Amino acid sequence: MTDTDATLSDALGRISTAPDVDTLRSIEREFVGKDGVVASMLAAIPTLPPADRKGAGQSANQLKQAVLTALAEREVALGNAALDAERKGDGFDASLPPPRLERGTLHPVVQVTRELEDLFTSMGYMVLDGPEVELDEYNFEKLNIPADHPARDTQDTFYCNAPGSKATLLLRTHTSPVQVRAMEHLQPPFRAVVPGKVFRQETTDASHEHTFHQMEGIVIDRNVSVGHLIGAMKTLLRGIFKKDIEVRLRPGYFPFVEPGFELDARCPFCEKGCSVCKQSTWIELLPCGLVHPNVLKAGGLDPEEWGGFAFGLGLSRLVMLRYGIDDVRHLLGGDLRFLEQF
Amino acid sequence: MLVSFRWLARHVDLEGITPEQLGNDLTLSTCEVEGIEPFAPHLSNVTVGHVLERVPHPDADKLGVCQVDVGSGEPLQIVCGAPNVGAGQRVAVATIGTVLPGDFKIKKSKIRGVESHGMICSVRELDLGDEHDGIWVLPEPDGEPLALGQSIANALGMGDWVIEIDNKSLTHRPDLWGHRGLAREVAAIYERPLKPIDLTLPDLGGAPAFPVSVADAACSRYIGLGIDGVQNGKSPSWMRQLLLAVGQRPIDLFVDLSNFVMLDLGQPNHAFDRTALDGGGIAVRKAKAGETITTLDGELRKLETSDLLITSGDAPVALAGIMGGEESKIQGGTSKLLLECAAFDAATVRRTSSRLALRTDSSARFEKSLDPTLPEKAAAHFARLLKEIQPGVSFPMILSDEGRWSDPATTIHVRGDVVRRDLGVDLSDEAIADILRRLELTPTAKDGGFEVAIPSARATKDLTMERDLVEEVGRIHRYGSVPEAPLVGAVMPPPFDRRRAMVRAIEDRLAGAARFHQLLSYSFQSDDLLSKVNADSGDFVTARNPVAPELSKIRREVLPSVLGALETARRRRSEVLVFEVGKGYRPEEASEDGMPREVHQVVIAIARSKAAKGDAGFNGGAFFTLRAVVDDVVRAAGVAVPCWSPGGEAHATLHPVKQVIGEWTADGQSAGVIGELDPAVRGRLGLVGELDSDVAVAVLDLDAMLAAPAAPRTYTPLPKFPSVKVDVACVAPAELPASALTKAIEDAGKGSVADIELFDVFKGESLGAGKKSLAYHVVLQSANKTLTDSDAAKFLGRLERTLEAVGAALRR
Repeated sequence: MTDTDATLSDALGRISTAPDVDTLRSIEREFVGKDGVVASMLAAIPTLPPADRKGAGQSANQLKQAVLTALAEREVALGNAALDAERKGDGFDASLPPPRLERGTLHPVVQVTRELEDLFTSMGYMVLDGPEVELDEYNFEKLNIPADHPARDTQDTFYCNAPGSKATLLLRTHTSPVQVRAMEHLQPPFRAVVPGKVFRQETTDASHEHTFHQMEGIVIDRNVSVGHLIGAMKTLLRGIFKKDIEVRLRPGYFPFVEPGFELDARCPFCEKGCSVCKQSTWIELLPCGLVHPNVLKAGGLDPEEWGGFAFGLGLSRLVMLRYGIDDVRHLLGGDLRFLEQF
Repeated sequence: MLVSFRWLARHVDLEGITPEQLGNDLTLSTCEVEGIEPFAPHLSNVTVGHVLERVPHPDADKLGVCQVDVGSGEPLQIVCGAPNVGAGQRVAVATIGTVLPGDFKIKKSKIRGVESHGMICSVRELDLGDEHDGIWVLPEPDGEPLALGQSIANALGMGDWVIEIDNKSLTHRPDLWGHRGLAREVAAIYERPLKPIDLTLPDLGGAPAFPVSVADAACSRYIGLGIDGVQNGKSPSWMRQLLLAVGQRPIDLFVDLSNFVMLDLGQPNHAFDRTALDGGGIAVRKAKAGETITTLDGELRKLETSDLLITSGDAPVALAGIMGGEESKIQGGTSKLLLECAAFDAATVRRTSSRLALRTDSSARFEKSLDPTLPEKAAAHFARLLKEIQPGVSFPMILSDEGRWSDPATTIHVRGDVVRRDLGVDLSDEAIADILRRLELTPTAKDGGFEVAIPSARATKDLTMERDLVEEVGRIHRYGSVPEAPLVGAVMPPPFDRRRAMVRAIEDRLAGAARFHQLLSYSFQSDDLLSKVNADSGDFVTARNPVAPELSKIRREVLPSVLGALETARRRRSEVLVFEVGKGYRPEEASEDGMPREVHQVVIAIARSKAAKGDAGFNGGAFFTLRAVVDDVVRAAGVAVPCWSPGGEAHATLHPVKQVIGEWTADGQSAGVIGELDPAVRGRLGLVGELDSDVAVAVLDLDAMLAAPAAPRTYTPLPKFPSVKVDVACVAPAELPASALTKAIEDAGKGSVADIELFDVFKGESLGAGKKSLAYHVVLQSANKTLTDSDAAKFLGRLERTLEAVGAALRR
């Protein structure tokens, strides 16, 4: 064995057992570095007899190549071993619970309101707002509900006092006053929806609240018929429930529409009766009707020229239906355990 | 309202129609049927039995041991304590397993050692009346003993269904508050004739009419029918059964007959003991101030001058249209009656009954505006039914019929084209006329349409205009037959609604990036809450009839609502982040028509546990976090960030020093306020002690934001040259606001300051008493060149001078 062979064998042996890249680098420096073994072999060549010089040069270069190749291979092997080791995952438990990600929420009533607003605006409806503290005149008189009308009983009104005001004020019992306000301010034809808070003086329990949310809809145009109303309501329900819903229209009495209807929808939650539809397969969803000629007149429109339809959607009820909420009082109760679910 | 299927069948043939079908058809054409229940289902399980024998119980004097044949072969042995039970009777037997009202299940039992296999029932045990003195000895309607073993319901024809109708759906239909009226609808729906009924008065005697004077227009008609030779007692079984079916407990003939006529024709009526009335007669007048009446229910009622009274000898005997007086209650033995059938003003009855909270079957009908032709028909009906029951009665006097009434029957012109247009249905004129005729509305062709005669029963309130007839046609034709049609016309996108867009942007920012939960609160704020948060001064809109006395105030400000939610929320979490977008009402800024001004606010609150957060650093507290959130939200709303300056105790809920007020320009329009809670308010809200909290709130005025300068997002070209970052520490008197130092840095930069970030605030002895040091990263940037160290040095030189000008110094 020549010296060169012994050197190579020594280098290869150490490379093959080198535990890490730093050791490889130091072996590299020792053998093929600036002052390494190969460099000194080359430096010694001029001192050799000319006949040996070529062979000495060749073996030095061979040594260099062999060491570099071994180093590169070992480095790849070490790299692969490191990857393999990392891939072992070392006791990693993917089933540990993640940290809590705090997030904010929009109120569920706001979420459903927005969804409906977007649906209606896509069909050319404006979104209007109206006062919650309303005049008796708009809440009742102009809606064809004069004083002493029995329909006022069903409204359970909160009447209000305000220092210095002689007006008969109340908390609106429905969003319908905006029908007349809209007629007074807008040029027909128009379509509008009015989401908002409404109030009824009644004892609260899981299904009754004195404050809840509604969405009024009104369309004023020429030659509007019950057929148009049915079409619009079906479109609305398709938008809400994301599927075609069978509906039935039956007489319902609301003084500001004539004829007035209750629109029942085939229960979207069952086929044979469930607790939501009280086993009837129908749910009472939308009071609606053709705008009463007296209301058109109150809004300054000529009932011979203009007609239209109006409907009222119980937003609170819709939210409860959608999420299966069993107690209406959660909606305005301010409990974060409730709100953070949405 | 409860309706009996069998009762309806007295007026219209219901052959082949099931109660369910009837309920469904009424719902689709007329009114809302809320439920259909079989009447007294237990009667189908109680059987007719024959008492074969009664022997005394060996061990109990008062009990008897009966052998009862129920048609099943072997007689049943039943122990019975009733004094009236005896051999030969037909009785009602509840056999073992039968469930009686009150969930009372009959079981085999041993009474004092004797086995008993069922029960012989009393009327009360079957819930058919109050009699409980003995067992019910069954009648023989056909004069023959009832066949054994059949059910009582079957034997006595008591099988019935009770249809419950939602009263609200009858609000506009005075004609439907009796079975006859509802039968008229049923007749129209099924195209069957109404059975005839004789509503003409029987022969009356010629004695002078009972004196009646009507002194008030609220009584438009008062009919008094004198009846002699009458004897009170039990009403006939058929009548009792029908009354029971609709939930009326039979009392005696006079009461039952009066109720029957009301429930049959819809006309309330009242029978007086004529001998108890003053000889001077009946006077109908308004109550005098301070007058009282004790009504039949025993309550003393204080009257007002708007209440209508029936009086006799000037003493009130009835509250007109609502309830009779205790004094005039018929006591046993009278044989002379005066039957009152009247027409009272709907509003008058309604006002009195709602003021006194005294709603009766009578007031519910009168307040719907009853047909004034009905009193005479009801009197006739009462008289004829009574005569059938007691053929010996007579009607000796001329009918009293006072008051100024007019027949409301009228005509309405209806055009076929309008019906077709409004319903969207292609119905021929003839089809329209046919439907109207089915409803007893008589059309006559006129002016290209029809002149439709409206009978008085429909004319008081319900049918007044052409559109009302459109509804009549539509509901009988059925809305289910109306084809669905798309709305036509140009659909234009609605005009841009900046307020709504702004609210959405704010909500999205807060609920999204800022992680706040949105609240919606009641508009009522309690007196207690308002006083806790120092917000009880100022004028409030108040509810006259609040749900609770302390909840009368309608909010001026949204803030207390949000504060009210904090304590409970903090109990469950160490950090509460909530907001509400809502309205408040300011009566002192009312509009011309008296409406209070509506303010729109965004209220944001942070409440964090002090213990959990520890030392938050110089600007890590809730107040500064909220300031950052507010500026971000305002920017998200597309509005310029307002200038926030110390509030100077402006808001009483907030800490007097730790609050800032925002303004956009010098015009003083306030954008809102941000601040920590006043420590006393925080204490009263319970956010101290174990819930000790760092609480900051912001109130933003949405109306002011709408009026504020818009700041839409704009693009700034990216810098072409590298920037230079310089750290500077400024030593300043402790009371100098940081905003002065920021301004000094900007001035020194001469437009080259691209960013200033405060990273440390230090106070210590090394600085000297009353001093502080604020350290900033300042980024200098030029659009034209690469800035060098010498530019930075020049900046520092200028900064020394600008700081000096505000009383501060650069700490080199």
